[in-house]
Amino acid sequence: MKTERLIDPATAQALDFAWLARAVEPAGEYGRRAFEELRPFVPGQEAAAFERASRIALLASAADEERLDAVRDVLRQSPDATGAIARASMGDVLDDAQLFELQRFCDAIERTGSLLAGVAGIESAAGDAIRSIARALEPGRSGKYGFYLADAFAPEVSSARAALVRAQAELDAVRGRAVARVGLELGRDDVAGDEFIVMRASVGKLPAGVRVLREAATYFLCAIEYDDAALAALARRDEAAANVAAAEENVRAKLSAQVRERAAELDRAARTLGEIDVLVSAARFTREHDCVPAAIVERAALEFEAGRFLPMAGELEVQGRRFTPIDVALRDVAVLTGPNMGGKSVCLRTCGFIAMCASFGLPAPARRAATALFEEIAWLGIGTDEDPSGGSLLSSFAREVVRLREVLERKSARTLVLVDEFARTTTPAEGKALLAAAIEALRARGACGMAATHLAGVAAEAGARHFAVRGLRGIPDRPSTGDLHEAMAALAESMDYTIAEVGSEDPAGRADAIALASLLGLERAVVEAAYGYLKK
Amino acid sequence: MLDGKERFVHVGEALFEVVRGAGARSAFVVGTGKNVGKTVAMRAMYGAATRARLCVGLTSIGRDGEAYDAGDAQPKPRLWLSPGTIVATARDVLPRSPAGEILALSDLRTAAGSLALARVMTSSYYELVGPPTASGVRTTVDRLLDHADYTIVDGAVDRVAALAGGNDAIVVACGAAAASTQREAVDDVGALVARLRVPRFDEGRPAIFVDGALTPARAARYIAARERQQIVVRDPTQIALTGKAASHAFAALTLRCERPLKVVAVTVASIGRDRSFEPASFLRDVAGITGVPAFDVYAGARS
Repeated sequence: MKTERLIDPATAQALDFAWLARAVEPAGEYGRRAFEELRPFVPGQEAAAFERASRIALLASAADEERLDAVRDVLRQSPDATGAIARASMGDVLDDAQLFELQRFCDAIERTGSLLAGVAGIESAAGDAIRSIARALEPGRSGKYGFYLADAFAPEVSSARAALVRAQAELDAVRGRAVARVGLELGRDDVAGDEFIVMRASVGKLPAGVRVLREAATYFLCAIEYDDAALAALARRDEAAANVAAAEENVRAKLSAQVRERAAELDRAARTLGEIDVLVSAARFTREHDCVPAAIVERAALEFEAGRFLPMAGELEVQGRRFTPIDVALRDVAVLTGPNMGGKSVCLRTCGFIAMCASFGLPAPARRAATALFEEIAWLGIGTDEDPSGGSLLSSFAREVVRLREVLERKSARTLVLVDEFARTTTPAEGKALLAAAIEALRARGACGMAATHLAGVAAEAGARHFAVRGLRGIPDRPSTGDLHEAMAALAESMDYTIAEVGSEDPAGRADAIALASLLGLERAVVEAAYGYLKK
Repeated sequence: MLDGKERFVHVGEALFEVVRGAGARSAFVVGTGKNVGKTVAMRAMYGAATRARLCVGLTSIGRDGEAYDAGDAQPKPRLWLSPGTIVATARDVLPRSPAGEILALSDLRTAAGSLALARVMTSSYYELVGPPTASGVRTTVDRLLDHADYTIVDGAVDRVAALAGGNDAIVVACGAAAASTQREAVDDVGALVARLRVPRFDEGRPAIFVDGALTPARAARYIAARERQQIVVRDPTQIALTGKAASHAFAALTLRCERPLKVVAVTVASIGRDRSFEPASFLRDVAGITGVPAFDVYAGARS
C-alpha cells in the first residue's frame, strides 16, 4: 500500500498511516504482493473507490470473523508458488520443493474457494488450469501437506528405485563382510566409519584389505579398502542411482511442461488469490472496527457522524477507557478552538484518517461518512518529527512555514489540510495574522480542512466557519493521590468532547488551562497566582 | 583396548545411550574448534539411533556434511542418511536425486536459502545447512521433534548455550586440530566443559546477577573484593574467561547461572590434519579433566 502523492511522511506520521497499513495487511505472500501494488484512488475514480469499499463491506457482512480468519490461516500457510510458475514458464525443470509449493498453491485455492463459497463479489481463483495441475500433482501428495515424487508418477521410477535398493543392499553386504572380517581379525566389533585407529601394541600385523592412511609411534590411522567385489558392487550401485535420477527427472520435466502450458492462467490465479487476501484482510478490519463505506462526493468536502481515530481508540481501550466518537462537517477550511486536552488534534487526525481510508477504498470508522477523494492530505503544525527540507537547522516556526509554503506551491486541486496550532511559537498577534492569511489562501485554492488553534479571533479575521469543542463541564477536583492516570480519568469524565459550530465569535473565555494545570498537579501557589494574573 | 584401561565399544551406541540416559530428546554437538570431529560424533550417534529403529531429525547451526571444506577445500566427513530420517536443511542443498519427501518449507533463512523440512526416502548423502540464529534453531528443533523421536544438532557453542534448554543434552567434541599441543587441547576442553557445566544458582542464598558477560576485569574485581555471594550469569557462555583466568575464577568465586546446560559426554579426535596426539593418553586426560564420559570415535574407545 503506497501513499504516492496522497500524504507526505509528516502527514503519514500524524495520521498513523503505519497503523492502518498493519491493520489491513494481508496474511500471505500472494496478498502481500497485491498489497504492495495498492495505490490511493484519485479524483475522477470516485465510483471505483466507493465500489471497492462497498465490496469489502459486503464481504464483511457476509462472512463472520471465524470464516475470515480461516481464509487468512489458509493463505498465511501457503508457500509462494509464483517463482515456480515463472521458472516453469521460462523452460526450467522444477525441483521437488517447487512442486510442493505448486501443490500447496492449488490446495489454497481450493480451500479458499470452499470457505468463501456463496459470498457475493468474490471472484474464484479456481479454474481449469488449477484443476489440471492439482490432478497432475496428486500422486505426489503424502500425509497432510507433504509432497514426494512417488512411484505412482511413472512405472520407470518404481522399477529404477527397486533396482537401486537391491544394488545398495548388495554393496552394503559386500562392505559389511569386509568390515566384519577386519573387526574379527582386530578383535573388536566397531570399525565403522571412513577412518579408524588401530594401536600398534594391539596388533602384530594389520588384516588384509586395511589401508594405512597415517602412521604414528603408537598407532595407525586406517581405512578399509574396496576390493574388486566391492568396487563392482559400487559401480552397479552408481549406475542404479543414475537410472533413478534420470527417471525422476523425466517425471519432473513432464510436470514442469504442464505448468509451462498453463503458466499464464496460474499466474492469473495467483493474482486473484492475492486480491482475495487483500479483500479478506480489509473485511476483517471492517468487522473488527465497525466501519462503513463512505459516500464519495465530487466536491472538496468531508462529513461524518461518530467518527473515530482508530489508533487512539486502541490505545484508550488498552487503558480501559473509551474513545468518544465525534461528528464533523467540513466544506472548506474551518477554524477549531477549544480547551487543552479537549480533542482538537484528535479531531484533525480523525478527519485525516477517515479521508485516508476512503482514498484507499476502505470502509471508514464512522457511523456514516461522506468525503471527496483528495489529491493530497496535508498536516501542518505540531505532532510530527518529520522535517521538511532544511531539517534541523530550522526553528519549529520556520519548519511550519516551510511546510505551508510547500503545500501552497503544490497547488493541488483538491487538498484536505489539517492545521494543528500553526504559528503558536511566534507572537500571538503575528501568529493570528499569519494563520488567518493562510486560511484565506487555502480557501481561495478550494481546499477543505480545519485549523485548530488557541488564538482568539482567527475565524472572524479569515471569514471562516468556526467550530469549538464544548470543553469542561466543571472543574474536576485534583486527585488526593496526585496520580496522573487518575487525573486523566477525572478529566475525561468532565470533558465534553462534542464539536459544534459556534459562529465567528469566540466562546466566552474560561480558565480551563489553569484548571487543567491544577488537575495535573501543578503547585497550588502557582495555580493561585495564575488565577490572580488572569483577573488583572 | 588402547592401553588396558579404556574399553572398545560401539561408540555411537554408548554415546547415544548417555544422551538417552540423561532424559534428552535433543543432542547438540559443539566443538572446541574446527575439524575436531563434530560431524563424526553426530554420525556415530545417528547410526546408533537408526540401528535402534528410532526416527532421527538432523540439523546444523551452520553447514555440515559437505564433501569439501569451503574454507580450505579439504575433504570433510559426509552424512549418509537412511530412509525415514528427517532433515532440516536449506532447500538449495537438498539432493535432487534420489528424491526425498518435502514436509514443509519455512521462512527461516540459511546461508543457502530458505529452510526445508524433508524426509529421506532413499539412502543418500545429505548436506545440512541450518538457520544461523539461536531462535531459528530452536524453532527448527521443535519442528523436527514433531516428526522425529530424537534430534541431533551440529552446533556452535555460543548459540547452543543461548538456545538449549534443561532437556537438551550437550556433547562436546575436542581434537588435535584445535590446539598446538595435547596439553593445550586438554586444558581448552576442560575449561569449556567447566564453563558449560556451571550449576544453577541457589535461590535461597545471596547472589549478584551479572548483566551481560562476566569479563576478566569484572571477575578480578569480585576476586579482589573476596566476594562470597553467588556470581550469577544468564547462561554459561556469559562467562567470558579462558585459560588460567578461568581456573582462578572458578576456584575463587561461586560462579552460577540462571539457565544451566546438561553436558553429558566428550568426544576426542586425536588425529588432526597438521598434528596428532597419542590417542590413549589424550582420551584419558580429557576424561580426567572434564569429569564426564569421554569417547574416541575413531578408536572405538571409551574412557
